[in-house]
Amino acid sequence: MDFPIYEISSLKHSYAGKTVLSIEHLTVQPASIVGLIGPNGSGKSTLLKLLGLIERPTRGKIRFNGRLVEPFSDEARFLITLLPQEPFLMKRSVFNNVSYGLKLRGNGKDIVDRVNEALSLVGLPGKDFIRRPWYALSGGEAQRVALAARLALNPKVLLLDEPTASVDAASAQLIKEASLRARQELGTTLIVASHDWQWLYEICDEILHLFKGRIFGTGRETIIFGPWQKLGTEKWGKILSDNQQLCVPAPPDQAAAAVIDVLSVREDGSTLAGDDIVLRGTVSRLSLEKKTGHLFATILVGDLPFTVRLTSQQNREHTIFPGKTISIRYRLDQIKWI
Amino acid sequence: MNFLFEGFFQAINLLLSGNAETFSAIWSTVRVSSYSIGCSLFIGIPLGFCLGYFDFSGKKPLRTIVDTMMALPTVFIGLLVYAFLTRRGPLGDFGLLFTLPGIAIGQTILALPIVIGLSATAVESMDQKLRITIMSLGANRRQLFLSSLWECRHGILAGAIAAYGRVMTEVGISMMVGGNIKWHTRTITTAIALETNKGQFGMGVALGLVLLAIAFGVNVSVSFLRRRY
Repeated sequence: MDFPIYEISSLKHSYAGKTVLSIEHLTVQPASIVGLIGPNGSGKSTLLKLLGLIERPTRGKIRFNGRLVEPFSDEARFLITLLPQEPFLMKRSVFNNVSYGLKLRGNGKDIVDRVNEALSLVGLPGKDFIRRPWYALSGGEAQRVALAARLALNPKVLLLDEPTASVDAASAQLIKEASLRARQELGTTLIVASHDWQWLYEICDEILHLFKGRIFGTGRETIIFGPWQKLGTEKWGKILSDNQQLCVPAPPDQAAAAVIDVLSVREDGSTLAGDDIVLRGTVSRLSLEKKTGHLFATILVGDLPFTVRLTSQQNREHTIFPGKTISIRYRLDQIKWI
Repeated sequence: MNFLFEGFFQAINLLLSGNAETFSAIWSTVRVSSYSIGCSLFIGIPLGFCLGYFDFSGKKPLRTIVDTMMALPTVFIGLLVYAFLTRRGPLGDFGLLFTLPGIAIGQTILALPIVIGLSATAVESMDQKLRITIMSLGANRRQLFLSSLWECRHGILAGAIAAYGRVMTEVGISMMVGGNIKWHTRTITTAIALETNKGQFGMGVALGLVLLAIAFGVNVSVSFLRRRY
């Protein structure tokens, strides 16, 4: 019987009594790539630590290949590995950092070859780097060495927490390529938390949007955060930087976030009657979702980004491209509060 | 000021001529400080690691007690150890009073809070990401402990050197528990105190310079080890 590689049920995790993650049910299929997106503090790193079995959840269960698992179990030690957000190397040479996990597994035979292979995967020539101490590496090199230490283990699951956040473009590209190669060559399941949405939408089989510790949609939703102000006797919303008014129904509280479902895009800027709101913005980015083949446009209205899924017909009609000014339409009665 | 120069030349003369009394004091000092520092590291590093690594109720008061004990006066330790080791004391039957092991017990009590306190500080200042890194690479609990310990080795080593310096240079315990017996329990520091009382400043300075040379040797060795590892 084939089990999902991860199955989470009724999971809650708290720090100092404050719940930071709450997931009712989640499954991850083997050899898939799952992206985690969400603002800072949304629980991405916490979820990765729990999936990496670094911490025990306050409540709930995590099954790995159908078995209940916990920190220091064999699965945690030998099949799953996590690359934390900031590059961290032990106070040892590059060789000793990359070979550390291999030595723990008793893989002493071809250790030098495997270290060299892992380093070359992340674009670091072994002959130049293997003897270097930890302090003689740049931030990007340290992050790549840290990734090499994980790739050398041929893990079943590779958890990456913002792997390209603190590195330059060239290092980021090498890290992305090396991670994907692990999936292609070894069938490694990749779970990646990143703010690089475009990359995630290109590579991921599934995207999970975390918000305030809960999984919320796929990340294609437009979420506008409070505070909100009264714009008239009954109107609430925000005055945007270009003086347009973003209208919303009365918010439940000042800090509530509005989920706005953009219904359509249009080239003219006419305001529609009733609950329809039209705002003018500029297309800032187009991205393709690998799984569905849909094209998504990010439209900047004032300073706020709105995400719109474009049908092929819409794209043909409007020939949308970055820099083009366009109108978006949404309905007040379809706004949800979270 | 002449006695300082005299002492310097006398120190070289004493060492080069292999003066038996001087070498007896040096040997006693090295032996007793090695015993005490060995014991305090063996007991203190694991305790310091636990104090710095784990969170438990009563940790803060315990930390305050340890920090306070880092400033324990040597004569007070000498008094307590004397009271325990004297014939009438609870450990009198072991016959440790006026012996080098007796001094070593006192000096272990002196060094232990320093080793525990500075090890705990080194562990507390350890990057939290280290634990995640070690665990995510597949360490079990024992390997996590040993690798974490190795990663804060420089801080622990600094604590060990501070403790060694305190042990080497103390007089109170050696004098009270050891009794400053010539050829037997006389250490460099007690010999310096005696020579100064006798007005033999030159000899005192000579022994002080020897003490300094030992401290220098230890620090150079430790610096070498730090660079190497």
